[in-house]
Formats: sequence, structure tokens, C-alpha cells
Amino acid sequence: MPERIKTLASKHRGLVVVSVIMAIVCVIWVLPVAAVILNAFKWNTFVKTDTFALWNAENFAGWSNFITGVTFGNYNFWLAAWYSTFITIVSTFLILLFCSMAAWYITRVDSIWCKIIYYLCIFSMVVPFQMVMFTLSSTADQLKLNTPWTIPIVYLGFGAGLAIFMFVGFVKSIPVEIEEAASIDGCGPVRTFFFVVLPMLRSTLISVGILEIMWVWNDYLLPVLVLDINQYRTIPIHIQYLKGSYGTVDLGATMALILMAIIPVIVFYLACQKYIIAGVAAGAVKG
Amino acid sequence: MSTKLTRRAFLGATGLASLSLAACGGQPSSSSGDSGEQTASGKGSVYWLNFKPEIDETLQSLAKSYTDQKGVPVKVVTAASGTYDQTLTSEMDKSEPPTLFVIGNQAAVKTWGDYAIDLSGTKIDEECNTDDFNLYDADGKLVSQGYCYECFGIIANPDLITKAGHDVNQITDFDTLKTVVEDIHSRAGDLGFDGFAPADMDDSNSWIYTGHLANLDYYYESRDAGGWKETPATITGQYLPNYKNLYDLIINNSTVAPNTLATGGHDPQTTFIDGKTAFMLQGSWSYPDVSAKVADAQMIPYYGGVEGEQNAGLNSGTENCWAVNNKVSEDDQNATMDFMVWLVTDPDASKQMVAQLGTMPFTNSQPGDNTFLNDAEELNSADKYTMTWDFNYQPNVDEYRKALVSALNQYDSDPSDANWSSFQTAFVEGWAKNYQAVNG
Amino acid sequence: MAKSLKANSIRSATRRWFWLFLGPVVAAFIIGFVWPFIQGIYLSFCNFRITADAEFVGIDNYGRALSDPAFQYSFWYTALTAIVSLVIINVLAFTVAYLLTKKIRGANLFRTVFFMPNLIGGIVLGYIWSMIFDGILSAYNTSILLDTTLGFWGLIIVMCWQQIGYMMIIYIAGLQAVPADMLEAAEIDGATSMQTLFKVTIPNVMPSITICVFLSLTNGFKLFDQNLALTGGQPYIIQPDGSTINTTQMLALTIYNTFYTSSTASRGTAQAMAVIFFVLVAGLGLAQLAYTRKREVQQ
Repeated sequence: MPERIKTLASKHRGLVVVSVIMAIVCVIWVLPVAAVILNAFKWNTFVKTDTFALWNAENFAGWSNFITGVTFGNYNFWLAAWYSTFITIVSTFLILLFCSMAAWYITRVDSIWCKIIYYLCIFSMVVPFQMVMFTLSSTADQLKLNTPWTIPIVYLGFGAGLAIFMFVGFVKSIPVEIEEAASIDGCGPVRTFFFVVLPMLRSTLISVGILEIMWVWNDYLLPVLVLDINQYRTIPIHIQYLKGSYGTVDLGATMALILMAIIPVIVFYLACQKYIIAGVAAGAVKG
Repeated sequence: MSTKLTRRAFLGATGLASLSLAACGGQPSSSSGDSGEQTASGKGSVYWLNFKPEIDETLQSLAKSYTDQKGVPVKVVTAASGTYDQTLTSEMDKSEPPTLFVIGNQAAVKTWGDYAIDLSGTKIDEECNTDDFNLYDADGKLVSQGYCYECFGIIANPDLITKAGHDVNQITDFDTLKTVVEDIHSRAGDLGFDGFAPADMDDSNSWIYTGHLANLDYYYESRDAGGWKETPATITGQYLPNYKNLYDLIINNSTVAPNTLATGGHDPQTTFIDGKTAFMLQGSWSYPDVSAKVADAQMIPYYGGVEGEQNAGLNSGTENCWAVNNKVSEDDQNATMDFMVWLVTDPDASKQMVAQLGTMPFTNSQPGDNTFLNDAEELNSADKYTMTWDFNYQPNVDEYRKALVSALNQYDSDPSDANWSSFQTAFVEGWAKNYQAVNG
Repeated sequence: MAKSLKANSIRSATRRWFWLFLGPVVAAFIIGFVWPFIQGIYLSFCNFRITADAEFVGIDNYGRALSDPAFQYSFWYTALTAIVSLVIINVLAFTVAYLLTKKIRGANLFRTVFFMPNLIGGIVLGYIWSMIFDGILSAYNTSILLDTTLGFWGLIIVMCWQQIGYMMIIYIAGLQAVPADMLEAAEIDGATSMQTLFKVTIPNVMPSITICVFLSLTNGFKLFDQNLALTGGQPYIIQPDGSTINTTQMLALTIYNTFYTSSTASRGTAQAMAVIFFVLVAGLGLAQLAYTRKREVQQ
């Protein structure tokens, strides 16, 4: 059947064309990141005038932007990086642990209070941060939640909605018979949860965990309003401060910092790509 | 000592006395002030919300050495430029608000005066040798006290000007300035340097135009009105044509294209210091950096073509006025007071402060060696008038200035009459609007 | 389904552990959400500079908020941005997803690359792009801060770069769920690929489309970081009365700026704006939930 072979051939040619177009678009897609790398190694004055020029003897700054970058702006970058890391990890851990526990309790006990809490959680998901930003920051300050060590509690509170919603969705699909069997074997609720239910939640834990990590790590407005920013800054706050203040902005050093801020993200992404993409798909479908 | 006496005499003798002092009536420091007098120090702690990023480093190290010496915790926090009001508002709401903060102008006295103790007769007041920089509220309470003063103007590099065949001392008004600047700019290629190094329009630099240069209008308006005592509800913008003269001169005779000022990234001070331009707009606080490379740099007044400006002096004044929070514990107030006194009396500390701030109006602080401030003094002793800092009266200052910046950006990219008149609107009507916003 | 006796006994055994399972979340939820929310509603009816000195003034703040030209402008600007970005993002994301689900070489690599910008935070994203726009536009002697139109499209580009990958993932999931036999049947019936796309594929991915449309709409309405970092509202239009319209300022940033200006009267107004904003965004969100629910019931 020559007709059919011809269509197949043209279809194949079509796919090659699509591949090539996609490859070009992909290159365009990574150009902004390439521009950051390019300019992170250029002297300040060239960033503005020769943004897209390649490195040459005149504009290449070596590591000097990075050296300036970690100290300029009256704040140590590593400190900000450490606070960002700590806050992200602890907040995510708290959210995963307590929200999965709460979701299981809500689903299994299913009392009127549980329903109220559950609907409040759903409600909180649609409330924009601006609604509570001012009052949250003053409440957090009164309760001394304005340090990196305590701000995870704020994240737990503000992030509980989505996490509980997603966990409840999954717990509902776990047959209660497994837990009944555990209970016959003499497991109390606590052991049942930690040894029977939690392992089954693995994939949801990963999905929720990734969404929370992405949220907390990149969040700007909540920490800037809640944290005592004079002592504690996260990476996004630090970068915003660099651009907004303190004499003449060193664009080269700013780009060096931006590069240092996005490298961990990109490494994390490449390492956990599979889970991230699956998590996003799951999160979106639920939320 | 003699330096200080002259300075004091100079301050007293000039129009500086009228400087941004509302209704103070020159009230001497003798009223009830025993609250700050108690010496139950040792328990409290100090939290200074500073608003001058450029002195942050010095303050941090001074705070540290004070803590090392006296064991009193001192925290210095610097608000990012353009965000002082916002930072103060949110910090005041916190459980540990600043004990020491800045109330730098009358608008701030209105907003924050209730949060300040009366400094009259306190230890720091006794150290102070002038009433000229003090701010009082309507009831005559000494709300805040100037701890340094500064001057700003056009900084010139006399060597370069000579090289171009002119003499900096012959610049006495706008026309002579214009001749020199335009001549240098037209021959910039041959000379190897240009006229002006203009400041950028980004948040960290735009105050040069929206605060300092704007004073060219405010000062003369204020003078015509007999000296502002509080923020006027409206202004006329009568001297904006003079502003425009100088502004156009700066941006059109410079090393950079005007329409690139909006996004920043230039470094005017380095450009000037490296001898690539003969002029820039700056203040006395840049002296340490400038004098390191341009030893004989000189500061000349803003000339915009106002009649009689041959007699103009520099813009002198201050926004640096200390206030002590009355909502914090007495221990903290006392600790704060002790810290302030230490800053202005301790030989080493006051030396560092003076090095950063130029000079301080306190009896026991170290003398300064800032040429720009000496220029101010010299002009003054030659009977020139000091241009007081009437930009301190700008209402709702951050918002007001943001609009000026945006309008100037439009003008820079297209210097049309329409864009200039839009700037005028932001300048004049924007003043009234922001006055309304603050005063209801 | 009737619950078994066993389940009931488990339930009562579990119930006693309330403090452990629900305690921490409920406590944090009250601190982080419930109390600030209630206080926020209350403060929208108050005049206040700091929370401690709030003074009840009724609905004045709402009147002021709604009649504020800057707020009105930013509402329409936000709506326009949200809708334009919604259309562009979804059309492109769907196209990319559709092409990637064809058996082309390097599909996985492409997917990885397209999704990557999503992990970069809004502030950083804004500054990366402002450098790029500066670099390009300075050649034309202009800047993103000088031109409302450039500012608008600049923001759209940033949003596209960030969100297309995200929406693409959702579309890919949806496209992969389209039953293969339906596609085969269409092919056997001699349908052109366009017919297959519009008659078979798209109806089958409607759920994904719904999700993505709502997501990009709410994302657009809530946008803050990118707006702040890219233009910060510039350029302004100076109105004859001296007030300003920040021509590229979206609702969230308008609220933020109104909050943190030094004028005493504006905090209550800002909180009222925030409540109005909340009603708007919550309305969109609840519409989505209701729609999703209805669909689930139908299936």
C-alpha cells in the first residue's frame, strides 16, 4: 500500500520538524538562565551595556562578583541561604507530619468538628495572602514567631489547607479494612497511623512535600512581613533588598547571587524531576 | 575648641536657625526632664532604627564595641532606602520596638511625636551645643534632636575645570555654570572628561533629584513666604523653571544618555572620582570617598538662574534627628540615653561618627575635617545665604517622590513640554494631594 | 455503605487522640489563618495605624477603597493581565503538551526544560527578566519602566515563561488519559488530525482545561512578586489633581502599597481593599471547586 507508506513517511517527516522546532524553543527557554550565568561573571558596568555579549578579556570578572555578592548589602548571603534552607526543610516536615495525621483523623473520625476543620481548610485555600498579611505579621510578632526557628509554625498554619485537602483525598481511597486488621493485631491508633497508614501515603507525601518545598523556598511576602527582617532574611528577601537599596546597585554581584540562589533549585529539580512532575500533576488535579 | 566656636557662631548667625523648626520658638532646654535623668542603667537594651544606609557599617561596629565595653546590648537596624517610614511603622507595632529612632522632619513629628519622650534637659540635650537642628511639636516638646548636619550642592573638580581653561571660582551663577559645563561637554572627546556624572533614577539614587534638587524650588518658595514653619498645604512651583535649567544642564551634558537613567546601573560617584567628569551632585557625606582621589574637590551651590543667586550658599541642614521611644521601658530609655551620650562624648566613638557624618553639634564630640562642610562655612562667612533643607517638609515623602521619579523618567526619555508639565503636576498638585492624604 | 462495628470501635479509640492528631494543626491554623482572618475582617471597618489603636468607623473604608481611582485602575489592569495571560499560557501550554505526547524525539528533555522556570521564585524571576528587558530595550533607548505597554507585555512574557511548563504538565496528564481506542477509531473512520483534535482529544481533556483555566486565572489575579520585581508599578500617570495611577500595578501590589504608605487614613482602606480582593479571588476559587465537584458527581 504505497498510499499508507507515503502518509507514514510524511507523518515521520512532520515529527522531525516538530522535534526541531521544539529544540529551538527549548534553547530560547533556557536563554534567560544562560544570561544569568553570562552576567554573573561580568563586571558590573558591562551587565547593563553589554548584557548579551559573550565573555571577553575586558568584561570577564571571574569569581569576583561572587566574592562581592556574598558580603555586599550589609548582609551575609550564607546566612540568608541557611535560614532559607532551615525554614524550608522544617516547615515542609511539620506540614507533612501534622497534616497527614490530621487528615487521617478527620477522615476516620468524621465528627462534626472534623467536618468544620476540613471545610475551613478548603476555605483557607482560596484566601489570598493580602487578606491576612497585616494581621498575620502582627500576630506572629506578638507570639514571637518572627524568627526562622519559629516561623515554620506560621507556614504550618497557612499551608495546612492545601496539604490536608490533598491528604484527605488520598486517605479516603485507603480501605479501612487494613486498619481494622492492624487493630485486631493489637495496634492502637498511633501505631496504626505511623506503621500502617503513613507508609501507604508515601507517594502523596512526596507530592505534597514537593509543592510545599517549592512554595516555602520561593516565598517572599510572608517571610518579609513575618520575620524580623533586620536580623533574618531569606534568599528572596535578600535579593529584593539588594535591588532596592544601599547605594549603587552592583548588577554583576546581584546576578552572581541570583545564580547561587537558583543553582540549588535546578539541582533539586534535576534530581527529583520524576517526583516533581508527578507531584505537580497530582496537586493540580486535586487542588 | 575654636573650630566649634566658629561653627556655633556661624550656625547662630545665619538663617539656619529657621531650619525646619516648626513652632519651636527657640525654647531653651530647661523644662522638666527628670525621666531621662535617672541612671538606673545596666538593665535595659538599645535598639536603634537607623535610616541612613551609608552609615550602617560604622554604627554596627560602634554598637558592637559599646556592647563589648559596657555589656549593654545594642541592636542597630537600617531600613532600606525609601522604606524608612514603612519599616518604622511595622517595627513600632512589634513587641520590641526601636528605643531610638529618627524623626527627621515636621511631617514625622506629626506622625510619631506622640511616641517620643521629651528630650529637654536630658543628658543628651545638655551635651548639645545648638538648638538649630532640634524639632519641637506643637506643645513645645523637644521631640527629636539633630545629631549631625550636612550640606549638599554641586561637587566640582577644580583641576579638570582649569584644564578646560576655566576657573571654578568664576562660577557664580547659572549662566557661568552653564558656559563652563556646556563648553566641557562639547569638547569632552578632546578633553577626556565630560560635564556631569548624573545620578540614576533607581530607588537608591533618585533622591538626588526628588529631594535635593527639588530643594531649589522649595527653598526659594519658603524664603518668599518668610520661611516655612510647617508643611504648607500647597506649593506653587514658582521656581520650577530654575529646577529645569539645572536639571537639563545636568542630564544633557553628561556621560550617559538621559533615557538610560531610569534603570540605573551607572556609578556617578566613581565616574567623578576617576576624573571622568568635572561635576556631580552630592553631599558632604561623600567627602571621605571623594577626597581620597580628588583631594581639592570643592562644593558649589545649586544655581538655577534665580535672581540674586550669586549670593547663594550651600544647602545645609539635617534629617538626622534622634528621638527616644516613650513606649519602651524606662530601663531601655535610660540605656538608650547612655548610648547616645557615649556616641557623642567618647573620643573614639565620636571620632568615627564625625568621620561619617561630617560634624556633630555636641560640645564634647571630636571636630570634623570635612572640606565640604568647611566650604559651607566659608560661603556663609562671606555673607551668602544658606539654602535651608525645606525638602524636609515634603508630605508623605516616599509616595510623593515615587511620582516625581516616574514623571522624570518620562521626561528623560522624551523631553517634551507635555512631559515636563506632567512633572510639574506631580511636583505641585502631588504635594497638595499627599498633604491631604497625610493630614486628612 | 454501612460502617462495620469494628470501624466504629476504631473510631472511638482514635477519637481520644484528638490532641495528638489534630492539636498541632488546629493550633497553628488558628494562629496562621483563622485569627488573622477574623482580625482582618474587623480591621477593614476600622481606622488604624497599628493594630493596637484600631477605632471602629463602619463601612467608610469600603467606600474609599471602591472610589479610589488607583484601585479601580489596578482592578481592570489585573483583569486584563489575568485574561490575556490565561489565553496565551493555555494555548501555548496545550500546544506544547499536544506535540510532546506525539512520539517525538527528546520529548522528555523538552518537558524537563519547559517546566524548569516554574521552580524559580517570583522575585528572582522578575530580576532575571528585568536584566534581559533592559539589555534588549536599551538598544532602542527605552526601558520597561518607561512604557506601560512594554511593562504589560513584559509581565505577560514572564508569566508565560514561568507557567507554561506547569500547565503543560497538567495537559500532558490529561492527554495521556485520552482512551487510545477512541483515537484509533477516529483514525480508522478517516478523520483528519484536526478533526481528531477537536472532536475527540479536546472534549476528553476538558477537565484539564478547566483546571488550567482556573489556575491561570487565579494565578493572574494574585500575582505579586513578579509585578513588584519587574516594574513595581512604573510608569505612573500623573493626574491633574496630583495623585498618581501606577499604570502597571496589579491589585495585590496596590493593596501592599496602600498598606505601607505613611498616611494614617490609608491602612483601613488597604484592609478593605484586601477584603474586596479576597471576595474576588475566593469567588473564582469556589467557582472552580463547585465546577470540579459537579464534574466528579457526573462521572
